[in-house]
This record gives sequence, structure tokens and C-alpha cells, in this order.
Amino acid sequence: MFRVSRRVAACVSILASAQAAVDVSPATAPRMEFTPLAPGTYQLQAIQSVEDTTLLDERARPVRLSALTKGKITLLTFFYTYCVDPLGCPFAHQTLTLLRDRILRDRELAREVRFVGISCDPGTDTPDVLARYAMEFTRGSRLEWRFLTARSVSALLPVLADFGQDVSVDVDESGRATRALHHMLKVFLIDHRGRVREIYSLAYLQPQVMLNDIRTLHLERRSGFAGAGTAVRRAQ
Amino acid sequence: MRQSSQCAAVVANVCVCFGSAVPDALADETCNSPYISNLIKGQEDFVHVWTLGVEGLGDGSDKLVTVDANPASKTYGKVVDSISVGGRGEAHHMGFTDDRKFLWAGGLDDSEIHVFDVGTNPSKPKLLRTITDLPAKTKFVGPHTFYALPGRMLIGNLSNTADKGGVTGMALYNNKGSLIARYDMPTASFGGVQGDGYGYDIAINPAKNVLLTSSFAGWQNYMRELGDLIKDAEAMKHFGNTMVVWNLKSMRPTQVLRVPGAPLEIRWSLAPGQNWAITAAALTAKLWLIKQGAGGAWSAREVGTIGDPAQVPLPVDISITAAGKGLWVNTFMDGTTHYFDLTDPEHPKQTYQRRIGTQVNMISQSWDGKRVYMTSSLLAHWDKKGADNEQFLRAFNWDGHALTPAFEVDFTKEKLGRPHHMKFSARANQSRTLAALAR
Repeated sequence: MFRVSRRVAACVSILASAQAAVDVSPATAPRMEFTPLAPGTYQLQAIQSVEDTTLLDERARPVRLSALTKGKITLLTFFYTYCVDPLGCPFAHQTLTLLRDRILRDRELAREVRFVGISCDPGTDTPDVLARYAMEFTRGSRLEWRFLTARSVSALLPVLADFGQDVSVDVDESGRATRALHHMLKVFLIDHRGRVREIYSLAYLQPQVMLNDIRTLHLERRSGFAGAGTAVRRAQ
Repeated sequence: MRQSSQCAAVVANVCVCFGSAVPDALADETCNSPYISNLIKGQEDFVHVWTLGVEGLGDGSDKLVTVDANPASKTYGKVVDSISVGGRGEAHHMGFTDDRKFLWAGGLDDSEIHVFDVGTNPSKPKLLRTITDLPAKTKFVGPHTFYALPGRMLIGNLSNTADKGGVTGMALYNNKGSLIARYDMPTASFGGVQGDGYGYDIAINPAKNVLLTSSFAGWQNYMRELGDLIKDAEAMKHFGNTMVVWNLKSMRPTQVLRVPGAPLEIRWSLAPGQNWAITAAALTAKLWLIKQGAGGAWSAREVGTIGDPAQVPLPVDISITAAGKGLWVNTFMDGTTHYFDLTDPEHPKQTYQRRIGTQVNMISQSWDGKRVYMTSSLLAHWDKKGADNEQFLRAFNWDGHALTPAFEVDFTKEKLGRPHHMKFSARANQSRTLAALAR
């Protein structure tokens, strides 16, 4: 099983050596040079459903994933607590924090939205670690923001596969895992029925667009709109 | 292997330290979707070539051919793998999924889409599945461009099931291979320009929320012998003359631009502050610039000539440099590649040309622009005949002034077929997937 230590100093030195072998380009934050469409004036397609499984919450309680991907509009992302990439997990959480503050200005909307983070390093990110990490994002906030981990990497792999979330780990010369994890940053927008309706990679992490997408799903539910897939059905 | 790991510089859209960068520009490595992770900014290890089968040559099947492209390797310049798909469907283009783990490759004739796993072991791709429901579910045929979006693949098609003409649309699949939606190319008027409904390439600028499409021809034209087609004045009217500007979020067309002569590949300059894309019109041998004006609307303007249009050089593929300062253009009929200085995109200036072979089609360059790869085949029925039907992958080194041959694979001698589209891959020597480590 994949296990990593929690020594941050070791992490930094490994990262530095890894960088030397990699041609790193300057990271670029997403640019937005357009006016986003108004909520409800466009349709978000149903990209995929989410397969159910059992994970652990910050208090080590078993939680069905479906309980946190249905019933509300959910923004779900994969992360790990010791990620230091300024345009990686910290950037995603910074964007979500900004988004949370905007959502909280609308009480009705705030009741309809939750954020979920799933650790992609269950060996390190135990429930205790998650509980401490979560404090920064949940303290004093009315918006539901949950952090989950898995009992093991084996338990996590089907979740990663279902979301198409590739995770790899650098290995040292003897083939042992280091603390350098790679994963493509993605935030999944999931509707009340548990269907993924948008996926934001870094180029798409534009808070105003994300807010408008959330409002679009909110309006869709209020109007009883059947949702995506109609374009395909019409063609068949 | 060790040398390869030092050379194969993979820049990942990753958490941790390797920068989750939006690429500064597109190039072939520079021409991938901006949503693709793991752009190879150093030495590529392999070139995958989507190859049309030729009856009586080898197994006669379309195949994905993998060639070792790392000069440090013992098998440099050699075919290291070939995987047939069991039929001839007019293999043409392919594209990576957003995580660069899978390669979707289409057939313009049979409309099948073959999904290869190139992430597990890029030296030995595996055929995972074949998607066959495109015509039945969308009424489109001829899947051409495979353009990754997060978690899904947008496919630009060339034709339709009803009359196999040029009116077509785009299909959106999720990465699991299920159809999500279809989008018709516009036939109505937008901004005073009538849409012709034709399709070809797809190119997205995320910062602008803009998707651009171009237009070519339907199955009835691209599956016909070129010599016959050229003599048929009526058939020659059935080529695309437009490009379409789409709102990416809504997937609705917002403008139709008049670009006569079958505008083909589209390349954005995504350098910060840039607001333009470029294309080449095949039948008129012209370069067109698509640029956003101060008011936000887009316009298309002819900005350059490729070779002698009177000789119908037929520009087919283009490749923009990573910084958006240079453009390679291949002209099929005279087998020549042209390099244009794009420092001023309003006035491209040809600074170099070289004859590559009796015919040349696709061109792909490395991120740093130092290595350029070209293949020979355009379409099974459009390739030249007899001795002029050279079929090759030719690799060159580019020093900014001249191309120097690096290696060559003779696809006829190797009994492989007609080489068309190319994509690069690199070994992941330093990392293992979480799944592999858990085993």
C-alpha cells in the first residue's frame, strides 16, 4: 500500500530535486477576458453520473458518497492537505473560499450548495488530519463544506477512476514512493440528482462563471426543468 | 532508460510543484487542446502515427504506429509498436483526453472512434474500446477533430448520414465513451453572413470563452478520387467557405465569418494579451487571421499567400510555434513545407521553404520548435499515384534557419500504410500511478 511520511522538510527537498529534472514553465492563473452569460440563459449538459461508495468523514464516520453528491448543488474536488503548488490545491481552495463568500450573500442559494473535498492521499490525510485542515474552511461558515478520506488507497481508487481523476506519485531511484503527488486540478459541479454538469480545470476556474453555473442549476431545479440530455434525445 | 528520464521533460498540470499552468500557447505539441495536462516541453520519447491501411500492404488495416523519437534511445527512429484496429475506415485524426492518458482516433469513412491507452506504457499502446454509435446517435459521420475538454471529448465532424454532404456538426462524449450532446453547425445567418453548415477543425480560447470552427467538405467529396473531383465543377462548389465563432459556455454560434476556400486547421495564439487565431484556406492558398476587435466582435481577414495559388499548392496542415511567433505550412501538391515569421500576425512573412517529398501533409513540432515531424498522406483517394505516392514519416531538426534530416521511416517499405496524424508521448520514468503503487 502507498504510504508517505508527513515530514514537510523531506517533501520540500524532494520537490526541489524533482524540479531539476523537469522543464517547468511559469504557472499561469486562469484569465477571464469576457463577460459571463447570465444564469439560466444556457444549459449545462449532464456529463456523467457519480457511482456510490463509502468514504470516511473528518470524524472517521462512514459516509455514503451519494449522501454528499445529491440533494444539493455540490462542488467536489480532490486534494491533499500538504499540497504546496500555488496553482494546485491551495488555488482551488482559495477559489472555493471566494466563491463561498459570494454564495453566502444569498441565503436561499447558500442552503442549496455544498462543497466536498476528497483527499487523494488517505495514508497521510487521516480523519484527524482532515479535521484540523477543515477548520480553516468551515469555522464560522454557514455553508456546508465537507472533507472526506478513504480507508485505504484501494478504497479510493474506484472513486478516482469514476471521476477520471488521475493521480500519480514520484518514485525515487529504488522505486519507492516519494511525497510528490501529481494530479490534474479539477473541480466537479454536481446537480441535485448527482449528475456531473461541469468540470473546471485550471483554465476554467473563474469564480463568476462558477457562480453563474451554480445559479443556473438552482434556477433549473426551481423551474422543474428536466435537465440535460435533451439535445441528444432530440437527435435520436 | 536513465537518459530518457532525464530528457523526457514532462510539464504537468499537477498539484505539487510542477505548475498547473494554462499553456502559454498551443503548438503540436503546441496544437493540443489547452485543457490537456502534461505538455511535453522537453524531448518527446515517441511519435504515434495514425495510419491508413492499404489493401495488400501488410495486414491492410488502419493502425496506430509508434516510433521511437528519443535520440538517446537504442531504437531511435525505429518503429517500436504497431497496433491494428482490424479494418480500413480512413484513419485520419486523433486527440488526447484531458489527462493525456488516452488517444481517441477516428475513421472518416467508417466513423468509428478507437480509444487507445497510451498512458500506461506509451511504447506499447493498447486498444481499449471502439465507439461505433456516432452516426446512429448524432446523424453525423466523418469524425475529424478530437478536442479535449475537462472530462470529455468534443468531436468535429465532416459529414452527415442523410446525404453525406458537408452539412454536419459536433458531438460531445464523456471520457467514458458515452454521448452527451450534439451541436449542428449553423446554416442560418449570423452577423449578416450565411452559415454553410460545414465543419472541420475545433479550437478553443478559454480566456475568451470562444470556440472557433472551420469548414471543409462532406464524405461525397473526401472519399472521391481527387482527379475526378477537381474536374467536377458542381462537386467543387461543395466546400466550406466559413468559420464560426461559438460561445463556449452555451455552445451557441455567435458569428459566422466568411473565409472562402475551405479553411482547415485553426491555431490560436494564447500568449497573454493576444487576441487572434490563424488558419490556411486549402483551395485558395491563403492565410487568414481571425481577430477580436475593440468592441468584442471577431473578424476574418486574408493576411498572406502560400506559394503560388495558380498552381494550387493545397496547404493542408499548419503548426504554430509555442510563442506564436512562427508558423509552419505544408503544401501537399508540391511536397513543400513553408515557414512564416508571425511576429506581425497581420503580415506573415515567409522566411524559409524546403521540399520534403513528392507529397507532404501533416506537420508536428516539439514545444521548443527544435524538432519537426512530417507525414505524407492526405486521404486515401487524394494521395498521388505511382512513384509519386511516397509514404513516410520524416523527422528534422530546426535551428531557426534550416531543416536538417534526423530520421525517416518508409511506411510502404515497412508495410504499414499511409501515415497521417501524429501525437507525441513521453515515458513517465519518475512517477507511478497510485493504482500501480497500490498493487
